[in-house]
Amino acid sequence: MTERDTIGINDVIAAMNETPVSIPIIGITGGKGGVGKSTVAVNLAEAFVQKGYKVSLVDADVDAPDDHLLLNIPLKNSEDVVITQPLFIDDKCTRCRRCITVCRVNALFQPKNHIPVLIGDCNGCEACILVCPSDAIARNKKLVGKTFMSKNKNLKLFTGELIPGIEESSFVVNALKERVFKEAGESDIIIIDTSPGAHCNVMNALKGSDHAYAVTEPTPLGAHDLERILKLLSIMQIKANIILNRSDLPGAREKIQSVAENYNVEISGEIAMDDLLVRSYVKGIPVVRMYPGAKSSQAIIKLSQKIAAMHLS
Amino acid sequence: MKLCITSAGKDIESKIDERFGRSPYFLFVDTDTMDFKAVPNTAETAGRGAGIRAVQLIVDNEADAVLTGVVGPNAFEALKAAKVNVYEGASELDTVKNAVEGFKKGDFKEVSCPAEGHGSGRGRGRGGFRGGR
Repeated sequence: MTERDTIGINDVIAAMNETPVSIPIIGITGGKGGVGKSTVAVNLAEAFVQKGYKVSLVDADVDAPDDHLLLNIPLKNSEDVVITQPLFIDDKCTRCRRCITVCRVNALFQPKNHIPVLIGDCNGCEACILVCPSDAIARNKKLVGKTFMSKNKNLKLFTGELIPGIEESSFVVNALKERVFKEAGESDIIIIDTSPGAHCNVMNALKGSDHAYAVTEPTPLGAHDLERILKLLSIMQIKANIILNRSDLPGAREKIQSVAENYNVEISGEIAMDDLLVRSYVKGIPVVRMYPGAKSSQAIIKLSQKIAAMHLS
Repeated sequence: MKLCITSAGKDIESKIDERFGRSPYFLFVDTDTMDFKAVPNTAETAGRGAGIRAVQLIVDNEADAVLTGVVGPNAFEALKAAKVNVYEGASELDTVKNAVEGFKKGDFKEVSCPAEGHGSGRGRGRGGFRGGR
């Protein structure tokens, strides 16, 4: 048997989760939007910094990156994220059309006796360049987004920002993570704040996480979207726990518990509704810094201690 | 002239399909003799870019003009690049044969810019899925 025959799905997933760093990576995700992912991520990061840890916080919600606002840190050290666009070289092109056949998004078109032209939305996959037998396609660049790295004492905030209207947001997430792995340096922990949903972007953000926390709320919507993200985490073979935000909302707590049981996932933290949390949120100061004694701060600090015991000891 | 019509079926009595990139067949009709050839649309089920792929097929079959319901902006740009004239406004209530007769009488106007309201650079995404990213 060749090596190829023996590779199974588990090997593929393990390879997908490989990272070039040995720093513990914690994903903060949750399926539903507006459940408090960023609030939890930002406050967790702050709680670790207060304990003297060096933290890399990654804002991978590239469609709406807000962590810098919650932390009141300006975005700095911008780097462009570019994707390839094919540029056809007339005197090298043999009009063989392999590029047109291979293009999965049908973005290329060849008028009669003419070189191919790019008309549709090219996603930069470079398959056309790969199949071109005459080296007739050069790499043009298209700006799709930016990454930033803002340093504030022991906190490094990495932010990805997609240019609005551009489809290929995964490129920005992947570029952001590459940058994190390159620049996280001597960080003790990497915390990745994902976008809502259970799509490519969220997958790319969570890839390589040692542990992911699904933030949710006790509502029917929260339970529904929680189930979706737990399914994704199970497929990705990433250890999952639940953080129940607004835990005292009179509502669908039993629905959350039932999802947790179905997926054999524990609720490892509960954050009750807290006026002080809202006040800090409006000010753009993490609640664990502004009101360390608040019940929400205490809940998040307790969670950070659990994570530290599991991953930083 | 060789006119390409988007058709629901493969003979001249078939109904028009108003969709450009996703019609099941293209009928290439010689408007002088009414001879025709049906070509299945291989782009019909494309995830993305069906319009552009359809234009490739039409250009390869050497049509001088296209008659359909409405053409998306990407396909329109490709047709323009290939110097194929575009006629819109054909109705799915009509047969291909009737539409060609109407065309010869001048019932359809040549279109010089893509249909309004589709935004720029994108069709209306009638595909079943948006292709994995």
